[in-house]
Parts: sequence; structure tokens; C-alpha cells
Amino acid sequence: MKRRHLIIAPAVLTAVFWGGMGLAQDKVLRFATWDSDESLAIQEAIAKKFEEANPGVKVQVEAYGDGYDDKLTAAMGAGSPPDVMYMWNFPSYKEALLPLNDFIARDGEAMNLADIPEGLMNISKIDGNIYGMPAGFTTQVVFYNKDMFAAAGVPEPQAGWTWADLRAGAAKFRNADEKVYGFAVDAKPDPYDFEQFLWSNGTRYISDDGKTIDGLMNSPEAAEVLNMFADMIKTEEAVALNIGDDTSGSALFKAGKIAMFQSAMWSKSGIDESGVNYGVVMLPSFGGKPVHSAIGASAVSIAKDSADPELAWEFVKFFSSPEAVAMRTNDLPVRTSVAEAQGMQDDPIFKPFFDMLAVSNKEIHAFLKNAEWGRIQENLAVAIEATMIDQGNAQAHLDEAVAASARFLK
Amino acid sequence: MATATATRRPSRRKARGAGITPWLFISPWILGFLFFTLGPLVFSFVMSLHDWPVVGTRTFIGFENYTTMVQDDPQFWKSLWITVKFGALFVPLNIVLSFLLAVLLNLNLRGTAIYRTAFYLPSVISGVALVTIWAWIYSKEYGLLNYLLSFAGIDGPNWLGDRTWAIVAITVASLWGLGGSMLIFLAGLQSIPKELYEAARVSGVPPWAQITFITLPMLSPMILFTLITSIISAFQQLTIALLLTDGGPVNSTYFFAMYIYKTAFRFHDMGYAAAMSWVMFLIILALSMLVMRWSAAWVYYEGQARKDDADA
Repeated sequence: MKRRHLIIAPAVLTAVFWGGMGLAQDKVLRFATWDSDESLAIQEAIAKKFEEANPGVKVQVEAYGDGYDDKLTAAMGAGSPPDVMYMWNFPSYKEALLPLNDFIARDGEAMNLADIPEGLMNISKIDGNIYGMPAGFTTQVVFYNKDMFAAAGVPEPQAGWTWADLRAGAAKFRNADEKVYGFAVDAKPDPYDFEQFLWSNGTRYISDDGKTIDGLMNSPEAAEVLNMFADMIKTEEAVALNIGDDTSGSALFKAGKIAMFQSAMWSKSGIDESGVNYGVVMLPSFGGKPVHSAIGASAVSIAKDSADPELAWEFVKFFSSPEAVAMRTNDLPVRTSVAEAQGMQDDPIFKPFFDMLAVSNKEIHAFLKNAEWGRIQENLAVAIEATMIDQGNAQAHLDEAVAASARFLK
Repeated sequence: MATATATRRPSRRKARGAGITPWLFISPWILGFLFFTLGPLVFSFVMSLHDWPVVGTRTFIGFENYTTMVQDDPQFWKSLWITVKFGALFVPLNIVLSFLLAVLLNLNLRGTAIYRTAFYLPSVISGVALVTIWAWIYSKEYGLLNYLLSFAGIDGPNWLGDRTWAIVAITVASLWGLGGSMLIFLAGLQSIPKELYEAARVSGVPPWAQITFITLPMLSPMILFTLITSIISAFQQLTIALLLTDGGPVNSTYFFAMYIYKTAFRFHDMGYAAAMSWVMFLIILALSMLVMRWSAAWVYYEGQARKDDADA
């Protein structure tokens, strides 16, 4: 019985709470974000700038933090969503969001979409409707510890390398007694990011029409990817993460326990602070096939029920402006002009992120193709985890996941 | 019948004379019950008859959520089975261990107060802190448990990373909160009249028989209470599993309550989650009623016994 209270009580409380807040002041724009700490401070600064440019408007920044989805869901369920909100899961929320196409067409010049890479616009587009403007992004890369490579006499990885290169290099760092490894394999990766390896091996989770997974998610290419990672655990080329233990790859990399670490922009500031002398390189390819990265992007969206969509749009427009994009130092700028002005594309640390972005506009993330993807993904995640724990047998696990997901594809 | 009504009338008028004052006194509870228990209860049932996404249109679908669950959703049966397995481990262990601890504490040895505090203390710790502690204990490489096992020459398993051991690990972590039922047993033990044991001792009844024929019957109401509350908490197991394993490894600790939680907040399918909540409610209700019925055979109430004696 308690369970049900937990589901409904927050909705009631939130409704009462925000109902009261709404009366407090006129021309208040509510902006919800999942960020905290530094990233939150940056957004508050952007909101402050917007307030300065628009006297009489108060932007109320609501930091929902880890419980973002729960709180947003509750606010929407209670009919009182924030006007503008951070968004990535467009298929789940699209019916509560305002398509921005008309606004963008109207302010076409100010928006200058040519300045925003196509791969980034793809993430908020469903059936031609644009439900959000990208605010920041990251692609996936490999961080490597330069000092460890020098000490082991292993040549540093170069763009254009392959997984075979990575494995050969990783094997040279293996030292089980010292718990030092060449690489780390996550047994419970986020399937969202993990699809990049299938893309890079010439397959995908689900067909572009969102109707078929059989023969794709469980294709030999997909099984090859899973078995390769499982094999790296078996041969101790890589340490396994997330098997009954929550030691993170970034913690190991920062402590000099792994020589290479596959991650994204969100790991960078922590690694900077650790003082590790590191380099960044593009993802390795599968035997020379074209590499393709997952795109992790946050976007800002407007609630369909917003009391003042015009004002909300002004805020979104400002959030996408070169001025605001340049203020976001905790992820990568979504505007090419801003990246160029800051010289990022020539910086050896930042360049691989942009190089990955340049080649990552061909595939669409699975969750945009099927509304039930969240359920299918659960089965997939189990198949990946089972393969890593069993150190192989990917085909059987993937077949099982496909069979279990059939009922969501009807 | 008529006379009965007639004789009762004055007292009823008296109650009316008291006006709404008594109602005002209990109104916080009544209002709380209406708004936070009965309201959501009814609302969730209405929800369970709908396709109810968090955003977008709600459609009435009758009992389709319930039929889908039973006919098309293997995960429903799997997570229900995991919960039953957990209950089969947790419920007996919870009762036996809290009973044994209570018996030990009742021996009046030196330092009883310290032990009593120590045994009860874990019940005070909130879920998240408790999980953090157990994550340290269970860690394969650096965990306390495997460190201790290594002294006995045992190479401990990866407690939270092994399909078989994870549910055992969660059971043990859940048992940490048995302080509450231990106190109930302790209070029960202390209310048993000493004369019963003295009489037994004088008659030469051996200690084990004293437990079987005096302690257990006298404690049977507490055992019944603990049995029912343990069954309920076994079915509602969520926090520890969610934080310790998140259902893993490979869904081996994917409890029924977790499936409900994820259906609501990860898959945003409120109608289906509400329907599953109702199924859980009915299962708990049915089990509780079965236990209550069965309890007539073994629960001994002092008051009732005296009445029976008097009748006889």
C-alpha cells in the first residue's frame, strides 16, 4: 500500500506547492534543469543575463537534480509544468511540449540554424517537429594517460586506430597484482551510448521505421561487439566495471589504474582536477569501418501548457544565442561559430570531440524511433550485462532480448 | 428489537449533544486518511482502468492492464516469483532471528542495555545510509565480508554481482531492520508471568518444553503480528534492492515493487503501474486473510482462553 502513496502523494504535494508559487508574482518564467553545482551556476548566470535584457521578467530556476524525471512528471501530471525545461527524452514528453518550428521559421535569421551541426538538431526532431533547441552536447572519445603510455613504451593512440590496436595496447598494461589494466569495460553501460559501437560495426538496435529489431539488435555484428568487450574482460585487457561493485571508470583513470578510458565531456573536468597528464583520441573503429559516436545533448523545450509561450520562446532563443552558448563551459558549444571563436577545433583536447561530431550525423538514436523503446532497452541492457558476466555467449542473450521485446513492437 | 432501539435512544441523543467536538479532535487523522490514503486508493483504481501516460491522452481500457499482465507480460511473473523467493527467505528468518535475539536479551545478563541498543540501532538508520554500509560490506575486492571470509580460507563470492548470491545478500541486508520485531517479542516475553515458569520448574518440566509449551503459546499473538507485517514488507521490498543492485545482476533481484516503480517512473505507464499495485494489494490481502484464518489453530489469546474456561 505504501507504494501507491509514494506514487501519488508527490503529485498532490507538488500541485499544492506550485499552485501557491504561481500567485506570488507576475511575469515569472519557470525554468527547470537537472544540473547541479557548476553547470547549474552557469545556467543561473544565463538566466540573470536574460533578466537584465528583459526588465520586469523574473526567471525562476528550478533545479530538480537527480529526481528530475520524477519531479517533472509530477508537475506535468498536476497540470503545472515549468514553462521552459531541460529535455532529452522527447518521445516520452513530446505531447506536453510545444513544437518550435513556427517560432524558428519566424526568427530564422536570429536562430541561424546553419551554425548548429545537423547531428545535434536530429536529437530533438520527431516526425519533422522540432521539440527543443540544443543547449550543449558531448560526443564520445577515449581518454588516455600519457605518462602510463610513455612508461610502458607503448605508442600513443592516433585518430584512425582500430579496436585491435586498442586491445594490443591494453594488453601491455595488464598487471593483475597491482590491479592495473589497459582499459575498462562497463558491464552495465547506458544502452543509449552503447549503440555507437553497433553503429560503428555496421548495425543498429532498431530499424529506422522503429518496427524491427530482429536481425539488427541480435545481428552477428551486434553479437561481435558484445563478445569483443566480454573477451577483453576474460583476457584481462580490461577491468570489468559495475559487476556488483560501483567503482567508476573515471575514478580508476584518475588514480592511474587504467591507461585508457572511454567516456565523454562529463569526465573531463574531474580528470583535469586529478592532474593526470592525458590525451584525447577519437573512438577506435572496427577494422576500418566508419566510426559513429553517440550524441549526448541537452536541449531546452517549452511546455505546451506554458502560460506565456512568447516569453518562453524569447528565453529559449536567448539560451541558443552565441552569447549564452559561449557561457556554457561545462559542455561543448552547440554553435560552430562559438567553437571556432574559442579555437576549440585546434585544441588537441577538444578537437577529437568535434571530429567525432563531424562523422556522427548518419544514425538516429533508437529511442526516437519507437515510443516503447524504454521497455525494449531494459531487455537489451540485461543481454549486455549477461554477456559481460558470462564473458561471452552474446548471440543467445541478444536473441533472448529480441524475443522478450516482441510484444512492444506490435 | 424495538425495545432495544428504545432503550438506546437516550444514549444516542447524548452523543449528538456532544456535537462535533469529538469529530474535531480526530479530524486530523480522518482528513489525513481521506486525502492521503482513501483518496489515492480510489484514484489509483480508476487509474488502473486506463491507458494513463504521464503526458498525453488518457484512454479508458477497462481491465486490459490486468489481462495484459497475466497473459502477455513475462516480467510480471518473473518479478513476482523473485518477490516470493525473497519472502520465503526473509519472513521465516526475520521471525526466528528476532525471536532468538529477544530471548537472549531477556536473559538479563550483564550489559543487556548495551546489546538491546546495539541490536535495535540498525532499525533507526535510513535506507540510503544502510545501503551504503552494506555496499561496503559486500564489495568483492575490498568488502568487509570477504575480508573476514579470507581468514577462514574462503574466497568469497561477488555478493552483489552474482545471480545466485545477490538475493541472499539483499535478504541479509533487509534482516538488519529486525530491531522492531525484536522489541515486540521482548515486550511479549517480559509480560509472561514468572509464575508459569516457576510452576513448570517445580514440576520438573525441562527448559525446551518450557519454551514449547509456555513461551511460544504466550507469544503467539506477537508471532502472528510479526508474520503479517513481515509478509507485507517482503512484498514491498524496494529501497534496498533499488539502491544496492538496481534489480541486477541480470534482473535477479528485480522485485515486484521495483517493476511497479520502474513502470511508473521510467516507462511513464501510470495505468499499468496502478494495476500492478492493485494486484500487489490483493495478494497481500489474500495472504493476510489466509494467515489470519490459519492463526485460529495456533494463536492463543489469554482473554479468550479465560472466557472459554468460564464457559466450560
